[in-house]
Amino acid sequence: MRRRLPLLICLFSGLFFTIQFFIPHQEVRRLYADGLRWLIVVATFAVVLATGSLINHHIRKLRRRDKDWSYSLVTLLALLGMGIAGFSTGTRPGTLFNKLFLNVQVPMQSTMFGILAFYIASASYRAFRARSKEATLLLLAAFLLMLSAVSFMSYYFPHITTLSEWLLMVPNLAAQRGILFGVFLGTLATSIKIILGIERGWMGGGR
Amino acid sequence: MNEFFVRLSKIDRRYIFLLVAVSVIVPLLFPFHYPTRVTRHTQAVFDIVDQIPPVSNPILISFEYGPSTMPECHPMAYAILRHAFSRRVRVIGITLSADATGLGEQALSDVAREYGREYGKDYVYLGYKPGVSAVMLSIGEDIKKTFPRDFYGQPTSGIPMLTEVHNYSQIPLVIPLTGSQTATSWLIYAGARYHARVADGVTAVMASELYAFLQTKQLSGLLAGLKGAAEYERLVQQAGYTKNEGKATRGMDALSTMHLVIITFIILGNIGFFLSRRSAKKGERP
Amino acid sequence: MIPMDTLWTWIAAFLTLAIFSFLYKDNPFYKFAEHLFVGVSAAYTLVIVYYNSFVPNLIVPLFREHNYWFIIPGLLGLLFFARFIPNLGYLILFPIAFTIGGYAGLSIGPGLQARLLKQLQGSMLHPADFADPGLLINKLIVLIGILGTMLYFYFSKEHKGVLKVATNIGIWFIMVGFGAAFGYTVMARASLLIGRVQFLLTDWLHLIR
Repeated sequence: MRRRLPLLICLFSGLFFTIQFFIPHQEVRRLYADGLRWLIVVATFAVVLATGSLINHHIRKLRRRDKDWSYSLVTLLALLGMGIAGFSTGTRPGTLFNKLFLNVQVPMQSTMFGILAFYIASASYRAFRARSKEATLLLLAAFLLMLSAVSFMSYYFPHITTLSEWLLMVPNLAAQRGILFGVFLGTLATSIKIILGIERGWMGGGR
Repeated sequence: MNEFFVRLSKIDRRYIFLLVAVSVIVPLLFPFHYPTRVTRHTQAVFDIVDQIPPVSNPILISFEYGPSTMPECHPMAYAILRHAFSRRVRVIGITLSADATGLGEQALSDVAREYGREYGKDYVYLGYKPGVSAVMLSIGEDIKKTFPRDFYGQPTSGIPMLTEVHNYSQIPLVIPLTGSQTATSWLIYAGARYHARVADGVTAVMASELYAFLQTKQLSGLLAGLKGAAEYERLVQQAGYTKNEGKATRGMDALSTMHLVIITFIILGNIGFFLSRRSAKKGERP
Repeated sequence: MIPMDTLWTWIAAFLTLAIFSFLYKDNPFYKFAEHLFVGVSAAYTLVIVYYNSFVPNLIVPLFREHNYWFIIPGLLGLLFFARFIPNLGYLILFPIAFTIGGYAGLSIGPGLQARLLKQLQGSMLHPADFADPGLLINKLIVLIGILGTMLYFYFSKEHKGVLKVATNIGIWFIMVGFGAAFGYTVMARASLLIGRVQFLLTDWLHLIR
C-alpha cells in the first residue's frame, strides 16, 4: 500500500494531465486550470523542503563538530539573519532584506560565476588541442564564433558575421536538432514509463 | 624556439589569470568604442516591440535570471524596458526564478522612474511563482488566478491595466530573459499550446540550441548574451528612445579583447603542442 | 559619518574580492563568503516563496476566499516534511507522485507538438525550396546533418559499412555544434567577469563614470 498508492496517484495525475491536452471541453479545462494551481502550491512546499534539508545538514555538522563546522555556524546565522530581515521588514525595495540581497547575495553569486572566465581561459590554453581532424573542426567553429563576437572584427569584416550566422543556422542547427529529437524521444519514453509505473526511480530503493 | 613554446605551454595558470584580468580592466578604463553589428535575430525582436501600439495590450517579460547570469540578461531587461516605456508600451513583469525577483523589480522600477511611468497603469510586477511549466500553462488559462496578488501584495483583480488582460490572447509578445531551459519551455508550453508569440533573451550558453526554433519560426527573435544586449541597446539608442549608452555596450570592448586573448592562448597552446609532438616523433626515429 | 549606500557598496566590494581571492588559493575569506552566500540565498528563496506563492496561492484562497478544495494541495505539500519524521518518511512519496506524474503528463502533448512535429516540419524539403538553390542546398545539408547526428547516437547496431559513413558525417556536424557551443560559452563566461569588474570600477572605485 505504501508503494501502490503513490503509483496510483502518479498514474491518475499523469493520465489526466496527458489526456486534458486533447479534450477542449469546458469542465475538463476548469479541472485542468485548478490542477495547475494545485501543482504550483505543491511546488511551493518543495522549495521550502530544500531549505529544511540545508538547515538539517548544517545542524548535524555543528553537533558532530565535523571539519569546518564553524562555517556551518556562519551559514545558519546568515540564514537566520536574512530570514528575520525578510519576515520583519518585507521584500519591498529599500528594506533591509532587499539591501542584503542586492549587496550580499548578488555580488557573491555573480562573482562565483565570474571566476569561471579565468578557468575557461586557463582550460583553453592548457587543454584545447587540435589532436584530431574532429577536434580541429571543433576548434575552427569555436574560433569563428569568437571572432564574430569581437566587435571591430565583425564590423570591418562583415563576412565573418555572415559565415558565423551560416554556421549557426545550418550545420549547428542540424546537430542541435538531431540531439533535440533524441533527447525528446528519450524524455517521452521516460515520461510514459513514469506515468505507467514502469520507471520507479523516483520512489527510492525497493520494488 | 621549440623549448620556448613547450615551456610556455606549462606556465603557472595564475599568470594566465593575470593576463585575463588585464584584458578586461584596460578596455573598461580606456574604451575604444568600436560599433557592434546588429544581427537579424536581434533586429526581429526590436521590430516586434516597435510595432506594438502604445497604451494597448501589454508585453510580458519574464525575469528568470539570477545574479549568476545577471551581467548578460540585466542589460537586456533595461534595453527592452527603455524601448517599451519610451513608446508607452505596457509591461507585465513576472519571474519564475526566486533569485530573479529582486532584479526584475529593480529593472522595472529604475526604468519606469527614468520615463515617468506609473505603476498599475503602464506596468505591473506580479512577482515570483514556483512551478515553471505549470505557471506558463496556468497563465494561458487565467493570469489573474495564477497571480492573485502582485509583488507588493495588491490584488491583481484591482489593477487597472490588467482589467482586459486574461491570458496570452491579450499579450502580443512574451520575452523570457533566462539562462536556463525555460527558454525552450516557453516555446513548448506557451507557444505550442496557446500560440503565444515568444522572443527569447538568453545567455550565450543557451543561444546555440535555439537556432532550431528560429528556423521553424517558433521563436520570433533572439537576443544572445552580452553581444545581443549591446545590439539591442544600439538599436534603442539609434532610434532615439534613449541617450544612455547601456552597460552591455560599454562591456563590448572588454569582451572583444578577452576573446582575442583567449584565441591567442589557444593558438599558442596548439603551437606548443605541435612542436612538442614533432620533437617526440624526431626523438623516436633511429 | 559614512553614508549607508557607501557602506553597502564597500560590503559588496569586500565580498566580491573575497570570492576572487580563491583564484590565488583557497583561504578563510573565501570560505566565509561562500558559507555566508549559502545561508543568505536559502533564506532569500524562503522569504520570496512565502510572500509570492504561499500566501497568495494557498492562505488567501483557503482562509479569505473559503475555497476549501485547496486543503488537498496544502496537505500534500505538508507531507513533504514527513521526511524528517522517523517511520513516516514514506509519506513524502505522495506529493512527489502527484508532482512527477503531473509534470510528466503536462510535457507530453506540448512536447510532441513543439519539439517533434514542428521540428520535423522544419526539417522537411518543401516544393517551394527548389526555387531557391541556396536555400535548397542549406536545407539538404541540414537534413543530412540531422540524419547523421541521430544515427551517431544509435548504438543498437555496430557502426560499420554504410552506417559508419553516416555516423562519421554525424560526428562532423556534432563537432561544429559543440564548437559553436564552446564559442558562445566563452562569451558567456567572459560577460560574467566583465559584469563584476564593471561593478568594482564604476560603483566602488568610481574610475568609470
